[in-house]
Amino acid sequence: MGWRNVPYEALCLCFRTTMPLSTQSQPGEQHVFVASLDNARNLSNILKAIAFKDHAIFSATPNGLKVTVEDSKCLQANAFIQADIFQEFTIREDLVGFQINLTVLLDCLNIFGGSAVSVAGMSTVLKMCYRGYGYPLTLFLEEAGVVTVCKINTQEPEEPIDFDFCSTNVTNKVILLSESLKEAFSELDMTSEVLQITMSPSQPYFRLSTFGNSGNAHYDYPKDSDMMDLFQCTKTQTNRYKMSLLKPSTKALALSCKVSVRTDTRGFLSLQYLIRNDDGQICFVEYYCCPDIEVDDE
Amino acid sequence: MKFRGKIVDVACLNHFTRVISTISKLTKSCILRLTPQHLFFVLSGKVTNGGVSMWCELSQANFFDEYQMEGFSPEDNEICLEVTPENLSRALKTTQNAKAVKVKLTKKHCPCLTITAELPTLSSISRVVTHDIPVEVIPRRLWHEFKEPSVPDFHVSIYLPPLKTMKNVVDKMKNLSNFLIMEANLRGEMNLKIETDLVSVTTHFKDLGNPPWGDDASQGGGAARRWDPEAMTQARVDIRKLQQFLIGQQVNPSKAMCNIVHDTVVHLILLHEDVSLQYFIPAVA
Amino acid sequence: MDCVISGGNVRVLAKAIHSLSRIGEELYVEPQKDGLALRSVNSSRSAYACFLFAPLFFSRYTIPTCQTFRCKMAIKSVQAIFRSQVSLEKTVEKCHIKLEEQKNRLTFTLHCKHGLLKTHNLSFQDSESLQAVFDKDSYGNVFRCNPRLLVDTVTHFPPSLEEVTVSVNDERMWVRNHVEEHDQGKTMLTELCLGSDEFEHFAAQNHNSITFCLKELRGFLVFAESTSLPVSMYFDEPGSPVVLCVTDSVLEGNFVLATLSDDVNHCRSNTGLANSSPPPPDDFMNDDMDSYLISMDTSIAPAPSSAGAPTPPFVAPACSKQPAVANHRARLYSEEEDEEDLGSSEGPPNKKFCSLFFGSVLPPSSQTSTQPVMTQEVLASDSEDDSEV
Repeated sequence: MGWRNVPYEALCLCFRTTMPLSTQSQPGEQHVFVASLDNARNLSNILKAIAFKDHAIFSATPNGLKVTVEDSKCLQANAFIQADIFQEFTIREDLVGFQINLTVLLDCLNIFGGSAVSVAGMSTVLKMCYRGYGYPLTLFLEEAGVVTVCKINTQEPEEPIDFDFCSTNVTNKVILLSESLKEAFSELDMTSEVLQITMSPSQPYFRLSTFGNSGNAHYDYPKDSDMMDLFQCTKTQTNRYKMSLLKPSTKALALSCKVSVRTDTRGFLSLQYLIRNDDGQICFVEYYCCPDIEVDDE
Repeated sequence: MKFRGKIVDVACLNHFTRVISTISKLTKSCILRLTPQHLFFVLSGKVTNGGVSMWCELSQANFFDEYQMEGFSPEDNEICLEVTPENLSRALKTTQNAKAVKVKLTKKHCPCLTITAELPTLSSISRVVTHDIPVEVIPRRLWHEFKEPSVPDFHVSIYLPPLKTMKNVVDKMKNLSNFLIMEANLRGEMNLKIETDLVSVTTHFKDLGNPPWGDDASQGGGAARRWDPEAMTQARVDIRKLQQFLIGQQVNPSKAMCNIVHDTVVHLILLHEDVSLQYFIPAVA
Repeated sequence: MDCVISGGNVRVLAKAIHSLSRIGEELYVEPQKDGLALRSVNSSRSAYACFLFAPLFFSRYTIPTCQTFRCKMAIKSVQAIFRSQVSLEKTVEKCHIKLEEQKNRLTFTLHCKHGLLKTHNLSFQDSESLQAVFDKDSYGNVFRCNPRLLVDTVTHFPPSLEEVTVSVNDERMWVRNHVEEHDQGKTMLTELCLGSDEFEHFAAQNHNSITFCLKELRGFLVFAESTSLPVSMYFDEPGSPVVLCVTDSVLEGNFVLATLSDDVNHCRSNTGLANSSPPPPDDFMNDDMDSYLISMDTSIAPAPSSAGAPTPPFVAPACSKQPAVANHRARLYSEEEDEEDLGSSEGPPNKKFCSLFFGSVLPPSSQTSTQPVMTQEVLASDSEDDSEV
């Protein structure tokens, strides 16, 4: 299930807000990438879902923007914001890539507070510009006539790890309402080093297990539960993933309405989150995680 | 020296509580000066509190239904105490729906400001809460340290934007940097800037207006009159100090303004009909 | 043991466990004929709490018939099962508790909406019997009220406060923060005065004051407030534990908290009330303002006329074998005290110590006072001990 062929709801395009004169790009300044949004939260919220490390890789293509964050070569999170979510999305190259500090970017995007419902439905209007290699990413943010200009330094992008997670190799897949997993993730026994996921065509169907200091716990979701949107398990598979790696995905879970859990023949885990933004548009966040090598055979 | 006061009106009590709570956010300890007409909360700019000073003036008649005091002497009819605003604030917060709140200067195991409140209950005997807040009486010979500061000879005086907006911006800037540059001109424009290795951020406010100080502004050398109206005057300040001040937005001031002496000091003023709060943040290099 | 709790009673059990977690680190579980007993005790054994859930509380209650079984486990891990208040209210339908003695584990299974099953297998240790010896019925002071009254009372005190002092006479109860002598003059004293008719039952045979830990009282109120059942408080003389109770037809909760056996405690009051009649009605205009006159020179500390004797919070041996907390007192003699005592008798003592010394030498009672600090009886101060462990 690639992000590009996911059906999304009709976009409700808002009227484009014109930026004040001071924020217009100077004539002659050639930007390789310009994007604007009527509501900066539509970007900042989805970035929050992957904000577990400072360094983020931005890759913009004519299709949209992909932001990648990685941890220990074992975990990768990607946020996808399609081009048509933006009111303006101009790109002069096939691929524009740079690395940026995500924590700083989020503070900038939320400079006016970034609260859900600001007074009188006011939202922060955003314009992002990038002139190319070596230049900072420039943000123009405007709310209620106040303008903030941010210049965030960029670095050369590192090549994201290719997890080679291929849908043809998927053995098991379930789609759950996020609500039901949120509860489980908020209650996870953090003294357990791993989270074990069992997926099986027979009992226990879909099970999350922890092994902590004072005992173990199993959360079982029957395949016919109302919470289960889709259940496609072909083979019993039990894999363990480092708790410390999976914990950050809770942020994505909190923002999403549905989550797709998949494992492939190698035991790699893919978690895809469907996130609805303030305007009802749909974006995706995906987490990939390697299984824990030291599998206990006991 | 004697002092006692009584607040009956709920709105006055809430307002008083908010003012004290704001002060408690600004300083751990300060001087409370009681005069027949006013209460002053004073923090003089010592190095120990980062050079910050504060002057908060409350007209007693606007808060107290009864107010009686007898100062050091008929000539020096004042009482000067060192108080912990946090204690006052905590005590007042527990009296929010009281029928009446009394504040007295008392002698217990040590000098205290005693706050007594009658709380509403269904019982015939009222529920009474008493807070004894230890204070230190400041001897007459030290009073001169706690006089009202004069308005500095500023280059630019400007009205502040909505404090809520300013607070959001400063809070986020605080995450990015420890220092902030405030700059403003006489055309009603003010910028807040931070700059680090990773990022530079500037927030531009415009059409803020410049308060008409008239001849009052000439208290110093009239620096503002010689200042180019277009030019920005600036001061680099410890961002935490500004952040603390902005918590003062809960007082809901009718006017908020700021005077900047280039590279020297930022003088912030909040005015509410019966309260004025002045706060001085020294510029850092 | 094999028992099932359904619906709203799961929430009651959860509250009880949260409440017990404010007392100690371990949960003692004992299925008895008369119900399931859940207990906890703090590390210094100066606070003990017990809930007994009657068989009728459960929709199924079966216990081993042959021998008695007792165990203990980390309370945190039990608490974690019931952590989410939201899910307890919205999704949990029943809770099944089953003992698997062979595997040395106690299994809690929560059956939730949408078929979700949460199974927690907790390991346990065998435990000794944990029983506090107290006879609340012999106590002279008995009060009963809606838990709201106590909840409203404790909200006046900061979360960091360790101990409160409760004083009573025939008409009133005073609750104030307990302040150590050396903190007087620095710490804000807060006192709440409650009229007897705010209580459902108010019987004060002994007009005295007791001091105990606020943390455990707050823990008790976590439970009491959620049930809205009337709460009872029993106490006697200082040093005897205070007992807090909440009861209905299917459950009973008892919290037993040690009190400071501080003989002079009751004369330390900020309005001098404990044994005196209630203060005269406070007429604003007639109030004698002169009595509030304050001397200008604050460099001399005011005479400790109303100050009581010192109460150094001596710590009892870390873990007494004796499980009962009732009348658990420790007579301690430490070298430090000796030195302090010596220091005070030689040379000009410093002011702080001086008042401390005088307070000890001149108690209202006739006790010999040559070595007042050494002979003082002090109860283990739990909060101090907790911070050390």
